[in-house]
Amino acid sequence: MATRRHFLKLGAGAGLAPAVALAQRKAKIVVIGGGFGGATAARTLKALQPSLQVTLVEPNPVYTSCPFSNSVLANLREIDQQQFRYDGIRGAGVTVAGTSATAVDADAKTVTLADGNSLSYDRLIISPGIDFDWKAIQGYDEAAAEKMPHAWKAGAQTVLLRRQLQAMDDGGLVVMSAPANPFRCPPGPYERASLIAYWLKIWKPKSKLLLLDAKDAFSKQRLFQNGWAELYPGLIEWVPLSQGGKVTAVDPATLTLTTEFGAHRAAVANVIPPQRAGAIAAQAGVADRTGWCPVEPVAFESTLRPNIHVLGDAAIMGGMPKSAFAANAQAKVCAAAIVKLLAGEKPQDPIVINTCYSLVAADYGISIAGVYRPNKGQLTDIPGAGGTSPLEAVGGLRGQEALYASSWFRTITAETFG
Amino acid sequence: MPRTLLPGLASMILLAGPATAADAPPGASSCTGCHAPKKVADSVIPRIAGRKASDIVAFMREYRSGTWPSSVMGRIAKGLDDQQTEAIAAWLAAQPE
Ligand SMILES: Cc1cc2nc3c(=O)[nH]c(=O)nc-3n(C[C@H](O)[C@H](O)[C@H](O)COP(=O)(O)OP(=O)(O)OC[C@H]3O[C@@H](n4cnc5c(N)ncnc54)[C@H](O)[C@@H]3O)c2cc1C
Repeated sequence: MATRRHFLKLGAGAGLAPAVALAQRKAKIVVIGGGFGGATAARTLKALQPSLQVTLVEPNPVYTSCPFSNSVLANLREIDQQQFRYDGIRGAGVTVAGTSATAVDADAKTVTLADGNSLSYDRLIISPGIDFDWKAIQGYDEAAAEKMPHAWKAGAQTVLLRRQLQAMDDGGLVVMSAPANPFRCPPGPYERASLIAYWLKIWKPKSKLLLLDAKDAFSKQRLFQNGWAELYPGLIEWVPLSQGGKVTAVDPATLTLTTEFGAHRAAVANVIPPQRAGAIAAQAGVADRTGWCPVEPVAFESTLRPNIHVLGDAAIMGGMPKSAFAANAQAKVCAAAIVKLLAGEKPQDPIVINTCYSLVAADYGISIAGVYRPNKGQLTDIPGAGGTSPLEAVGGLRGQEALYASSWFRTITAETFG
Repeated sequence: MPRTLLPGLASMILLAGPATAADAPPGASSCTGCHAPKKVADSVIPRIAGRKASDIVAFMREYRSGTWPSSVMGRIAKGLDDQQTEAIAAWLAAQPE
């Protein structure tokens, strides 16, 4: 026994470990998607273990951030303040492949790229964000989005919606539609309604905003509704599912949105359609029938395909919302876990935090937070923690949270893109 | 003999290096989403890397109990027990300021 144990020890110390060590040092990690999840993961991996070969696959030379893009609609920011390049990530030693991933072979552990090249990996991270379900609302396809923008991927769509708002006559009706859960940024449609109202009140005071909703409750609801009553009385009308809020069809020619209860004609229409994980996720076999990607809650490895980790909006992260804060936090946990896995060690159970700020007006911020840990195979809210800002604000709290919101944006974009 | 010595050394160097950063205690890596490790222009959120661990723990306890008012930190502090808070504080204190 003693000899055998001694032998095993020797084997582990002098034979096996160095082999693992060498493999670990030279390991190849491919990251698909250079948004808040993927860019953070690529950078963090390189920072934790500079000898890793990390390749980030992202077709756009410039990333346009959705967080704070609602402020662009309200003329509080310009679109170029939302934009970030990948130079910082290259500077951190990450190889950036400026093309998109077209196929993943989970058995061969290879990624095929649109430029004809292919990459092999030891571990793959997929953080492709969302794609729209163009079949969910009758008449709402990619061409319709040029007339009735979603502006739910920031960039040209954001600029288009802003231009339409600015060109609208005073007194025109703005109609928004919000999807059922789950979707990217649960408080996002309500922040958008708030900031459009903020802008209308100044520039088009006779206009109104109708918000058609495919659900009966939403994130930070009482805080938003209190803010609307206080700042924009009578300007925003919210129509929940039970009162006919679900949009089933649109006509881009007449800017008409049809619900289960009737039709609404808009001067400007913003349709936020139902969503699913970015298409490459389904291609790779990591999306399930819901269209989203199930993962285990420690390293966020797919439960459908080994050695593929899914981050951010594309993943089913238990109680965590689909936010940039969450994608960035998950990415840091995932990177540390991958370093452990490559070393043949077991990653520790993480604690992951989310904090999302929303603006109800330029200087009026509210927040929601949560602390999550693995429980029964899911990331789960730690009871007693998290929640929203108080309904009664004392001591300039709303102004302070608006300042925290912009500080958060500067910090997280610096951490992600450098 | 060098054949057995060299790989041993390599694995030791490897363990001493990056393992430390990947070993941040649970919860610690989320902090930098708001609390920048390096200076960020125009941020009103305080930096906490390199602060004294005992100060961080004291703040977190007061946030958690509500003795010290906060916007979001009280809600976050309630998700961490004493041991977890102390581990995060010690790790943050050891980061370059
Ligand atoms: C209006 C609005 C406001 C928001 N405000 C906030 C906020 O205040 N706070 C907050 O925390 N979150 C906010 N969000 C949510 C936030 O934008 C997302 O949760 C976040 O972007 C998710 O990160 P991700 O990495 O999953 O996806 P993304 O950031 O979308 O990144 C995905 C990247 O993958 C790339 N990609 C996709 N497919 C491929 C492929 N096949 N090959 C290569 N690359 C590919 C895309 O080009 C993209 O760059 C907001 C969202 C919206 C719409």
